[in-house]
Amino acid sequence: MAQKEQKHNSIGNNSGDRRQNRTILGRTLFLMGVFGIAAFIPLFYKLWQIQIVDHEYYQKLAIEQQTSDMLVTAPRGTIYDTNGNTLAVSVSVQNVVISPRDIAEAQEEKRKSGEEKAAAGKELTDAEAAAMSGTYKEFIASGLASILGMEEETILGRMSNTSSQYEVLQWRVDDDVSQAVREFQEENGLYPGVYLLPDTKRVYPYSSLACQLIGWVNVNDGNKGAYGTEARYEDELSGEPGRVVTARNAAGTEMLSSYENYIDAKSGQNIQLTIDATIQSYCERVLAEGISSYEVRKGGFCLAMDPNTGAILAMASSPNYDLNEPRTVADPVLQQYIDTLEADPEAQNEAYMEALYSQWTNRTVSDTYEPGSTFKTLVVAAALEEGVVNENSHFYCPGYKIVADRRISCSKHDGHGDQDLAQAVANSCNPAFIEIGQALGAEKFYQYLKDFGMIGKTGIDVQGESDNTNLVWSEEYFTSPEGAVSLAVASFGQTFRVTPIQLITAACAAVNGGHLMKPYVVESFTDEDGKVISQTQPTEIRQVISEETSEKVRDLLFGVVDWGTGKNARMDGYHIGGKTGTSEKRDEDTGDLIVSFLGVAPADDPKVVILLAFDSPTPVVPGSDYTSHGFYISGGNMAAPSAGPLLADIMDYMGVEKVYDGDYADTVVPLTVGLSQAQAQSLLDSKSLSYRTVGEGATVTDQLPAQGTSIPEGSEVVLYLGAEKPTEQVEVPDLTRRSPAAVEQALESLGLYMRAEGVTSYTDTTRSTSQSIPAGTMVDPGTVVQVHFMDTAVQDYG
Amino acid sequence: MARKLKRDLTVEEQLARGPLDLPFLMLVVMLTGIGVIMMFSASYAEALYELENPTYYFMRQGLFAVAGLVIMYVVSKINYQTLRWLSVLALMGSIFLLILVKVPGIGDSAGGANRWIRAIGPLPRWQPSEAAKLGVILYFSARLSKRHTEKKRKFDLRKPSGRVLRFLDHIGFLELLPYGAILGVIALLLLWEPHLSATILILAIGASILFAAGIHLGWFALGGGLMGAALWVVANATSYMADRLAIWRDPWSDMQGDGYQIVQSLYAIGSGGLLGLGLGNSRQKFLYLPELQNDYIFPIICEELGFVGAAMVLVLFALLIIRGYWLALHARDRFGALLAVGVTTQVAVQVFLNIGVVTNLLPPTGISLPFFSYGGTALVIQLVEMGIVLGVSRQIPAPRAG
Repeated sequence: MAQKEQKHNSIGNNSGDRRQNRTILGRTLFLMGVFGIAAFIPLFYKLWQIQIVDHEYYQKLAIEQQTSDMLVTAPRGTIYDTNGNTLAVSVSVQNVVISPRDIAEAQEEKRKSGEEKAAAGKELTDAEAAAMSGTYKEFIASGLASILGMEEETILGRMSNTSSQYEVLQWRVDDDVSQAVREFQEENGLYPGVYLLPDTKRVYPYSSLACQLIGWVNVNDGNKGAYGTEARYEDELSGEPGRVVTARNAAGTEMLSSYENYIDAKSGQNIQLTIDATIQSYCERVLAEGISSYEVRKGGFCLAMDPNTGAILAMASSPNYDLNEPRTVADPVLQQYIDTLEADPEAQNEAYMEALYSQWTNRTVSDTYEPGSTFKTLVVAAALEEGVVNENSHFYCPGYKIVADRRISCSKHDGHGDQDLAQAVANSCNPAFIEIGQALGAEKFYQYLKDFGMIGKTGIDVQGESDNTNLVWSEEYFTSPEGAVSLAVASFGQTFRVTPIQLITAACAAVNGGHLMKPYVVESFTDEDGKVISQTQPTEIRQVISEETSEKVRDLLFGVVDWGTGKNARMDGYHIGGKTGTSEKRDEDTGDLIVSFLGVAPADDPKVVILLAFDSPTPVVPGSDYTSHGFYISGGNMAAPSAGPLLADIMDYMGVEKVYDGDYADTVVPLTVGLSQAQAQSLLDSKSLSYRTVGEGATVTDQLPAQGTSIPEGSEVVLYLGAEKPTEQVEVPDLTRRSPAAVEQALESLGLYMRAEGVTSYTDTTRSTSQSIPAGTMVDPGTVVQVHFMDTAVQDYG
Repeated sequence: MARKLKRDLTVEEQLARGPLDLPFLMLVVMLTGIGVIMMFSASYAEALYELENPTYYFMRQGLFAVAGLVIMYVVSKINYQTLRWLSVLALMGSIFLLILVKVPGIGDSAGGANRWIRAIGPLPRWQPSEAAKLGVILYFSARLSKRHTEKKRKFDLRKPSGRVLRFLDHIGFLELLPYGAILGVIALLLLWEPHLSATILILAIGASILFAAGIHLGWFALGGGLMGAALWVVANATSYMADRLAIWRDPWSDMQGDGYQIVQSLYAIGSGGLLGLGLGNSRQKFLYLPELQNDYIFPIICEELGFVGAAMVLVLFALLIIRGYWLALHARDRFGALLAVGVTTQVAVQVFLNIGVVTNLLPPTGISLPFFSYGGTALVIQLVEMGIVLGVSRQIPAPRAG
């Protein structure tokens, strides 16, 4: 133990020394016990509590704050048309965001750094100069305002919320804008007051093309598909978001050298539609043109389908809209109507919402309508299949038919008289079809309704298909004696409602050999590398009629266009078949009509079936049968003349070769220059061309048109016998709404040639509807102008 | 000059050449080494983010540790008896330095407190309160080791004052007076900085030496009672302390504010579990736990090394403290014993308060962990103190053989 206190032991006494030493000894031992052992007991206890007993509790809390579980959005799949044209695609964009709090804080910093720089004689940034003059916020606001095209005041207003760090000035700006913002921000060192956040934006390169089918994504609902294919295949398109569990530090950024757990985002699948952008654009153009020329008030729809597979080639509804701005009412008529309600904001808003829903609705699957006479296609198919009628059956039409004491009139009030089956179909004669329906009988009729898929859904892979089951009579009622009138009117397609897709699907079955194909719009799903994940195989639901019956139906439909109510759809060189339809809108009771045309081309080997309809052409006065432009309101006078060129365009696009019947063949003008007039005459005769001469010479010195020009047979060639051929160009006159004779005369007087198209049997009501060279164009003499004629008074009501 | 032969040495000189206490030395070196390694791991993230130099704290602490160990060895070679007269200078000097921190141009402030003498020439910025601790240990030990040899005071009992003085002398008050005055002056200077934790430490060091030296226990009862009463008043009378105590009882009540640090500390300790996340793998060090290179380094040890590692460190500290008192018990003289008691108690109190705070056993006070917390002055002075204890250990006579 401690020794004597060396220096002082001579002075100190020994006993005190020892006592002192003993005291120190004891108390040091005490301290050792307290600090060396006792003090550590609570520390160990506490550590044990925290680290072992409550370990899991603290660990959970710690991990919660240390990790950020971030969702990584998967890239949304692209939608293509059948040829790989992009219909909908997601692109990266930026949101422009300001942090008012950071701007307020940076103001002072910038002022200081500006002063320091100024003191050191260095160049100032604009932001620093602004901060020194106290206009830092104004500087940022005006800079951003000019880039974003916003009001400076608005931005300053947003900046005044200095507790916020996140004020989005503009959502989803394009690259050039975000680049400008980035440059502005970097030049002036504005981060984190001004920053960009990446986002994605759905872009529809074709704007309104197939808008109802494609649909759009709702940015207010997590970019989920809201309508159309975007909504229907949301799961496939969106893919599966990935997760990144990242260790993050307290500043919120990633921790170094720490664990990260990736669950890869699964990219959305791409969808290839059966839609062909070209055919779709044809259909939409025809719809739009028809709507304007027939003064159609409630839009229309147009479907094009491959009858052999059930693939939808085009699916158009009007009114339509720009997919990039789905909340803008695109239809001028609707917008005009909304504008008239300015005085009543509530009604205006209601009208606006209604307009939005109507433009978003895919009418081809969601709307139901009475098919009218187009439905006769199916009735005659069923009757032929059942053998209750044949080509030799005759029907007598006195202009009406009495069924169960009810007088049902024909569209031709003085009656069609005696008709064979082809005539009955071509005339769209209602009494004849009532007879056919009765011959078929209610049970079989109803069975065919079911077999053709006219009750229920087609099962098409499009969002929003309506089920029409409640819009068709029940089987019990229809087959009961009370159902007799129903059977009669059903025979010409009235008093029940179907969706357009149902009708075209059934019509395809009637002409394709009897196979009811399930309609579809999705050709395939592919992954991000373009590898096909699944491909839609055409599905035959059932065979409804035989191949032979189908062939007869095709012939009948060809007859309709060749010389019946559908003759306005006739196009030279195209073998078009079809059936017109005009149906009342019984649900509205306004007298408005839906005029439609069901077209097949080529009629002998269908490649495409279309269904074109216009909803409510405006009569010149209420109750009138004519529009202010002089169109008789019916499928034959409206839908058919629109459908003919449409089918011709589609046939050309599909590369179907034109087939000319002998009567309409063109002939190539031979070379007559240098020949004598007699030689020239015999040469022209052999080509079925007439001629006239100008001048007095013996030999032909010039000719019009020139050698090699293709002109209709029977046309007149001008031979110049020494006289000068006029080289001046002539102006093509307006040739529309004239009779064929008047058009020919007008052209001849100018030295031009006419090639007539459209209807071939001219009547008093035949009028030209269009010309291949617009009026006012300067052309050389001898040029051939194609002029389309139609019969403006086809009686095909019903 | 040729080294003196052993027989030419005085007894004291011979003793001063005695062997170092190896266990104590080993413990000091181990703790310093672990401290530097943990400093690297703990401060890495903050140094990287805040200073963009991940080894900033580590390099400095490492340099000070190496220098400190060398200085410790040198100090241990000094015959500690010479510290008796140096102690007066040390005390006066440290009081002088404590005044200097308030002198503009010399003192340096941070966070509203003037605790530093700013860097002058090659000397880095440092805290004179560290020196004051050493000054108190030296002076108290030197003076108290001689207390029973002081002459008995004579009082004129005819005067009432004389009788009062005699009474005061009798109960030991007069003897305590200079110590109390010194502690009072230093405490006031420190509170003026303000530096509460250093005040507490110096009071505790002073008290421990007085205690060991044999001051009547009644005074400790009185002092303890007074301190307790003062704390009670402060805790209840001021809202500041009340808030602190409320947060101590439930740190989650103000998790984003004053409770943040202690909650983060508990997360770190708790998530360590039995074996920890592994050296260098702390997550809490990524800016969650503020001041982790200073007062809150222990939670990172707990997080990375687990209960096992933290307990090892505690055991090392406990062994160091026990060995320190053991050396005091075996010291050659009372001066050496009291020096060892003072130094050891300082380490013990710091360890207890620091770990008590980070585990939320005690209300928060900013006391650093010896050998671990960042701070060049503190580390070097700690090692100087260890050197003094080692110096004391050299003069412990070897047990007589047989």
